[in-house]
Amino acid sequence: MIIVEDLSVNYGAVRALRDVSFEAPTGQITAVLGANGAGKTTLLRTISGLVTPKSGTVHFGEQLLIGLATENIARLGVGHVPEGRGVIEELTVEENLRLGALSRKVDIASGLADQYARFPVLGERRKKLCSTLSGGERQMLAMARALIAKPRVLLLDEPSLGLAPQITAQLMKTIHELCESEHLTVILVEQNAKSALRIAHSAVVLHLGSAVASGDAASVAANDDLRRYYLGVAVE
Amino acid sequence: MSAFLSSSIMHNIFGGVAQGVVYSLVALSLVIIWQSTHVLNFAQGAMAMFATYVGMTEIDRGIGYWWCVIISVAVGMLLGGLTERVLIRPLYGKPEINPIVVMVGFLGVLEALAAAIWTSTTRNITEPFSQIFFHDHGNLVYLSPFIIYQVILALGIMLIIAGLFRYTKLGLQLRASALAPEVSRLLGIRVSRMLTIGWILSAGVGAIAAVIQASGSFGLFPTDMDGIFVAGFIAAAVGGLESPIGAVAGGLLIGLAEQFILAYWSPNVAPLGGIIILVVALMIRPQGLFTKVAGRRV
Amino acid sequence: MIRTFLRQETTLSRFLGVVVLTAVTLAITIVLPPVADSELAGGAAIAIVILGLSWLIGWSGQISLGNSGFMAVGAYAAGIWAHHHATTPLIFTLFLATVAGAISGLIIAIPSTRLRGPYLAGMTLAFSAAVTPIAQNFTSVTGGEGGLFMNSLATPGWFGHFFSGPNATINANAQWTADLAVFVAGITFFFMANLFHSRTGRAMRLVRDNDVAAELMGVNLSRTRSLAFMIAAAYAGLGGALYSLLQASVRPETFPLTLSITLLTLMVLGGIGTLSGAVIGGIIFSFSANLVAHVNSLTGVNPTSNLGANMQGIIFGALLILTMLFVPRGLVSIKTPVRRLFRSRHQVVEAGEVH
Repeated sequence: MIIVEDLSVNYGAVRALRDVSFEAPTGQITAVLGANGAGKTTLLRTISGLVTPKSGTVHFGEQLLIGLATENIARLGVGHVPEGRGVIEELTVEENLRLGALSRKVDIASGLADQYARFPVLGERRKKLCSTLSGGERQMLAMARALIAKPRVLLLDEPSLGLAPQITAQLMKTIHELCESEHLTVILVEQNAKSALRIAHSAVVLHLGSAVASGDAASVAANDDLRRYYLGVAVE
Repeated sequence: MSAFLSSSIMHNIFGGVAQGVVYSLVALSLVIIWQSTHVLNFAQGAMAMFATYVGMTEIDRGIGYWWCVIISVAVGMLLGGLTERVLIRPLYGKPEINPIVVMVGFLGVLEALAAAIWTSTTRNITEPFSQIFFHDHGNLVYLSPFIIYQVILALGIMLIIAGLFRYTKLGLQLRASALAPEVSRLLGIRVSRMLTIGWILSAGVGAIAAVIQASGSFGLFPTDMDGIFVAGFIAAAVGGLESPIGAVAGGLLIGLAEQFILAYWSPNVAPLGGIIILVVALMIRPQGLFTKVAGRRV
Repeated sequence: MIRTFLRQETTLSRFLGVVVLTAVTLAITIVLPPVADSELAGGAAIAIVILGLSWLIGWSGQISLGNSGFMAVGAYAAGIWAHHHATTPLIFTLFLATVAGAISGLIIAIPSTRLRGPYLAGMTLAFSAAVTPIAQNFTSVTGGEGGLFMNSLATPGWFGHFFSGPNATINANAQWTADLAVFVAGITFFFMANLFHSRTGRAMRLVRDNDVAAELMGVNLSRTRSLAFMIAAAYAGLGGALYSLLQASVRPETFPLTLSITLLTLMVLGGIGTLSGAVIGGIIFSFSANLVAHVNSLTGVNPTSNLGANMQGIIFGALLILTMLFVPRGLVSIKTPVRRLFRSRHQVVEAGEVH
């Protein structure tokens, strides 16, 4: 599991995260919600080691992640699909996938086969440059690339961004299935709170860098105050 | 056949190719460094020259040609790795003009240092293969075993490099590190190591170019590599900074252009051969050569 | 008081500011011995070139390694003309050099405006690397290796009257050349100061920082960039001609590639995109010979040895590297009370692409 304790991050004078604490239990989906600028992406980037916090810790089980280099955190099995997916356009689909498999001791051939089986579209377009992929296809590729490394933790930054509702629904379903079948620990950052809460086990809500609420998904979803102020969902 | 081979046109073609090969190797080294780091090393020529000078002093001590080559390449690689660690590392994330300026400064230091250590004279390495031109049925063909060796060497290195980048794990990581360093790190790739490797490879190839130049009939003078670097740069730009094959083709093209200008137009204009090609290339592709100089994307 | 003048945005205040600074510098030339005067003169000529380069790189964001080439164009233009028309007034010769520089700048700019970063640098590098071989080869025009002699800097009679004593002529000549160089530099600085504040200057900065926005505002990108090149080249041509006049000759070796590197170093050291930076650069150049000699004696190096002879190249190259790594905005940006006095209002805060 991932344990975040009193994490504070500053960008110059701006306090992006203030004493954020929560737990992402093993094998479960933890949603991180909040409006734009709430600090959700900063949180993931700090866990991945791209950002150094001012104070606080992040543990992956017993292992302290703060202070480790990003590539080493990835090698420990923390997969991060960044905002915008980070698909490398100048490379082909297959090359992107191969990249994902390089840093962990996985068999590339069977890894590729697995991902092509799970995402047939990728298999069809395996030799194509990624610049030709649609938004939904890129999301699939980004996920496959993270999964091929057989991670233990998956950090997903706004996977539904820019995707049509039907595809988003499908995507969430896939994430849920993956979590079940691979027993992954998933931290799902989303602005689309509704669809995230449907598959999440627990949730944390961020507002201007602070964690203002947390708990199991159902109670967060039902909390009217939260829904109105932080999730932008009209009270029905 | 023999008349054809010894004709004036073939003479010029062989001559152009012989010089063009050196340009190709420099161009290739620039492609390597661009593909793996998205930085253009303006001191490439000077570094290669310096490494070759070190190799050449070893020759004075009586070792053979091939040892000189090995030492020069090794020194070149060492220099490349050190340069990346010490001079370029601090500049990541800064504007792209900074490494250019730093490398230009490095260029100045290296040339002055070389002149200081080894004096400003031309130095030569005795060629490993005969430079005597062939005779075919009594006609002079302007090819020699040495030229053939140069061409084979350059083509061989080009194939190895192209293969490396396209088909190997290392090549994939090198490319990814330059194209998207942050994403690559998220995938567990040791990006900083890749960048150093890119510099080391590039410097090694550049050193070979200088060694060939030094073994040729003109030897090597501290500032010689300036003109060669410029030609190599133009070749890489024209041929495509993403393409090893394009770089080699570009280098040969410039070599040929210079040779033909020298022979058929005027020797005075020959140094402009490269610029002329550059301008022509720009006219054909008026939108500029690869104007999407992609910054370091995340 | 000077500071107050410089701070104001009117042409008059800039004019007065430049006048005062020029007057002060002229006063200094009177005090200095003749040798120092000559060095100062050289420094003034180089300061002009640096200013143009600073404008190009700092304000329009286009990197050029080719300004030694533009210097050569101006110098040779002046030289070739003077060779055939010995009695041309100095003003005309300088004007010719400036125009020649501008034209060559335009020629180089045409293919270059679409190039960015390393490609542009490479293109300009190609240009300046080609200058020496061309000067050497086209012997009939350029006088080949021997170069051309230029004699237009004869001290006028009225000036000589101020000097008496055993070394009158030497003193007078040195004084005249120094004052002339400073005066010309003053004029060019005044123009540049106005340029910084003009619409053209603002357009340059906009094109540099955000060319999409510039285009949307109706700015013609190519034309603006070409203009920047032309101005920089014109300055370089003028500076180059002045420089050669001071040496009374122009030869192929006068403008090697290493000069471009030196220019870059001085510009970066002084501070990109600032008037004061160019002044600092020029001053450093004036004393560079002394500086190098000083370093030689400090480290016990024999100046005639290989190491000694190449010390300048080593020092300047190393300086460029160190400055770029540690003080990329140049000496101008070092915040000390003394610095504040001289820091001109015209400093480009987000100096081009150097942070």
